[in-house]
Amino acid sequence: MKKSALNLGILLLCFALLSFALKPLSQADKTIKTFRLKSTENKIVSLSDYKNAKGFIIVFTCNKCPMAKLYSERLNNLNNKFKTQGVYLLAINSMDTVAYKEESFKSMQKKVVREKTTFPYLQDKKQEVAKQFKAINTPQSFVIWKNKSGKWVQKYEGVIDDSALEPKKGNNYLEKAVEELLQNKLVSNPITESVGCRIFYRGVFDKMR
Amino acid sequence: MKLNKILIICTLFLLTSKRIFSQTFTPLNVPEAYYGVTGADGVTNFVLNMDENLKQFRTGQATITGAVNIGTATTNTFWGPTMIINKDQAIKMHVTNNLNESSTIHWHGMHLPAIMDGGPHQIIAAGALWEPYWTVKNQAAILWYHPHLHTTTQAQVTKGVGGFIIVKDAAEAALVLPRTYGVDDIPLAITSRRFLSTTNAMAATLSDNYGDYVMVNGTLSTTTNYAQATLPKQVVRMRILNGEIQRGYNLGFSDNRTFYVIGNDGGLLNAPVAVTRLAIQTGERFEILVNLSTDTVGTQTLYLKAYNSTTELTALTPGQSIFGWPGNEGNPSNPTGNSGPLNGGLLNNVDFNIMNIKIAAATTTTTPITAIPSALISDTYWTTANVTNSRTITVGGGNGGSAFTLDGSLYTTTMTPKTVNLNAVEQWTIVNNQIFGHTFHLHDVFFKIISRSGGNIGTTIRTFEQGWKDSVWIPINGTVTFIAKFDDYADSTWPYMYHCHALTHEDEGMMGQFTVNGTMATNANSVKTAFSLYPNPSADKLFINLSDASTAIYYITITTLEGRVAMMLPKPQWQNGIDISSLSSGVYLLKLTDEKTKSVTTKKFIKN
Repeated sequence: MKKSALNLGILLLCFALLSFALKPLSQADKTIKTFRLKSTENKIVSLSDYKNAKGFIIVFTCNKCPMAKLYSERLNNLNNKFKTQGVYLLAINSMDTVAYKEESFKSMQKKVVREKTTFPYLQDKKQEVAKQFKAINTPQSFVIWKNKSGKWVQKYEGVIDDSALEPKKGNNYLEKAVEELLQNKLVSNPITESVGCRIFYRGVFDKMR
Repeated sequence: MKLNKILIICTLFLLTSKRIFSQTFTPLNVPEAYYGVTGADGVTNFVLNMDENLKQFRTGQATITGAVNIGTATTNTFWGPTMIINKDQAIKMHVTNNLNESSTIHWHGMHLPAIMDGGPHQIIAAGALWEPYWTVKNQAAILWYHPHLHTTTQAQVTKGVGGFIIVKDAAEAALVLPRTYGVDDIPLAITSRRFLSTTNAMAATLSDNYGDYVMVNGTLSTTTNYAQATLPKQVVRMRILNGEIQRGYNLGFSDNRTFYVIGNDGGLLNAPVAVTRLAIQTGERFEILVNLSTDTVGTQTLYLKAYNSTTELTALTPGQSIFGWPGNEGNPSNPTGNSGPLNGGLLNNVDFNIMNIKIAAATTTTTPITAIPSALISDTYWTTANVTNSRTITVGGGNGGSAFTLDGSLYTTTMTPKTVNLNAVEQWTIVNNQIFGHTFHLHDVFFKIISRSGGNIGTTIRTFEQGWKDSVWIPINGTVTFIAKFDDYADSTWPYMYHCHALTHEDEGMMGQFTVNGTMATNANSVKTAFSLYPNPSADKLFINLSDASTAIYYITITTLEGRVAMMLPKPQWQNGIDISSLSSGVYLLKLTDEKTKSVTTKKFIKN
């Protein structure tokens, strides 16, 4: 008896260690607080405005980055596909407007008109939302989903797809993540590595000198 | 049994033949030639834009790159145009940093004022326009330009920001040499990259200083697909740059043919040097002649190769392999590829093809060169008899993975510079009691190597290292002495750099700085410089009216009210107005630094 209890103890300890070791891979505990940002239409947009939302696709993007520029049409398509299913796309520009003249609010407004954007394009002038998400480059996408207690939980972080220059040829990780969530499945690739133009935070002495 | 054997042999044959027949080629990128635009004032203008970019290097995700483009063009996605400039030409650069981070552009090998040099002090903020200018004093040579911002040089060079500069002169033009750019005179920037398997990004950390795939002018080679240069059946000139992060190359041709070194960093040698192997370290350039006149048109069997294997290395440098010459790579037993540990790499310590050569018919529009000249130019060099001052620089650090140092210090932009007197002929001895070889690079002027002792490549200066150099290989436990004259340009404020050209070492702080001090008296008074700006507002030209007409302007910086730097004008030629047409409309601050007092005075103006 004693021996089997000891074995069970070791087994439990192993499980505990294993789950502890696996913890960094799970994003289940990263919750996102709601935020309020100004859209190019001069409206204040907040997550709480979307009463029936199951989830959001949050894409950090900008006006100037060549990688980000490639995704305008693909983001429109994603928004058109999912907004009727209660998943809304919000694009956020968190680039330092002091450092880049191309990232001004006016340039954002022009981009939205030029590209016939179907989703809100928000300015994160204080870079606080980017910091909350720990966004590092543009484009970088996140999927957040409402849990039972009404909190927004991060379910996906990473690339939109892995074929920037060859649309439809690669893996559409973001789209697949949303589809899986809509089917109440686990996201099979919750984290992919995004690439693009670095978001530098104002006042941080790094590469902006 | 017999049938089995036949089947096995057939399968093996099919497998091997498939490998042979699956060899493919990608045409070598030859950077576009850029001659600039000469204005009514006789100054030739070069408009360069450093870009964030993308290139489909591999299947799957596009790779984030950097490039230099002419004006608003977007055609270059890696590397930049080759600027072709004449000696004595007055030139002005208009460099916009369109990367999303700060950078600099250093004119490597160019003899020019320190304030125009583009070292770590001449920071071009993201979005800013920098306008250095000078008159070219260099003789005919192959130079290059690349970012030089302290701690980010490796990352920005890895992305592909850089390009060649070819300087021409009368002495070179008088020789019977191939010089039709892109036809019988081609530049080759040799480097290699490691790609991250997850994103296809080009890795640029300390562990990625040895790439897995070689590339020439941004054309990538794999083991089944090589960059291919199509070259005419005649004598061809190659201007070769080792544009690597850290790897050295022991160059040769796959049929071991003799080729001829005609020039290195600072220009032509006095006579060609016949070799079958040529060691080229980071930042070094060599011009070579290769005779293809007896090759068969249409063949594609000749390769430019790196003979970097242990066998070659042992033959050249007995008793030395790790971090030695020619590749300067780590342990040969550790070539583990794109997720490899420190100093691993698919190309480490092996012989590999760099580029295929396809033989085309001889040129008909220009007379083919078919012979190697026996003599070139007649430069004379400094000797110890000319020396007016000597100094020693010692390589340190490197123990237990710590950064390498020069004279025990890691570089900071604010460190006290060494001072060199204008027109001094100095003898510098670089001592490397170290576990690693280093390429020592000097800004401002060219030097003549006079001795090399200790180390593992012998005490003699290799014949192809004759002539004017700006970078020299200091082998493990080796000492090199060179002589240089610091002429023409003095500035007690802005320093020039000297450093290891292994970019990882440089970024980590293996760099120092020196000023060349002339006779001009400096005055520490913080007297404000009285001036006004007119017309204000202005749409294209802004004129400066100085109250004291004898004031010399050292620097003008134009920023937005928020502080974003828009224009940087070292020693501006302000007399005919400053061109502000590139600015978007708004209110700006013009910060003027006075030459004598170095005091800064600010005035507001409006751009319409």
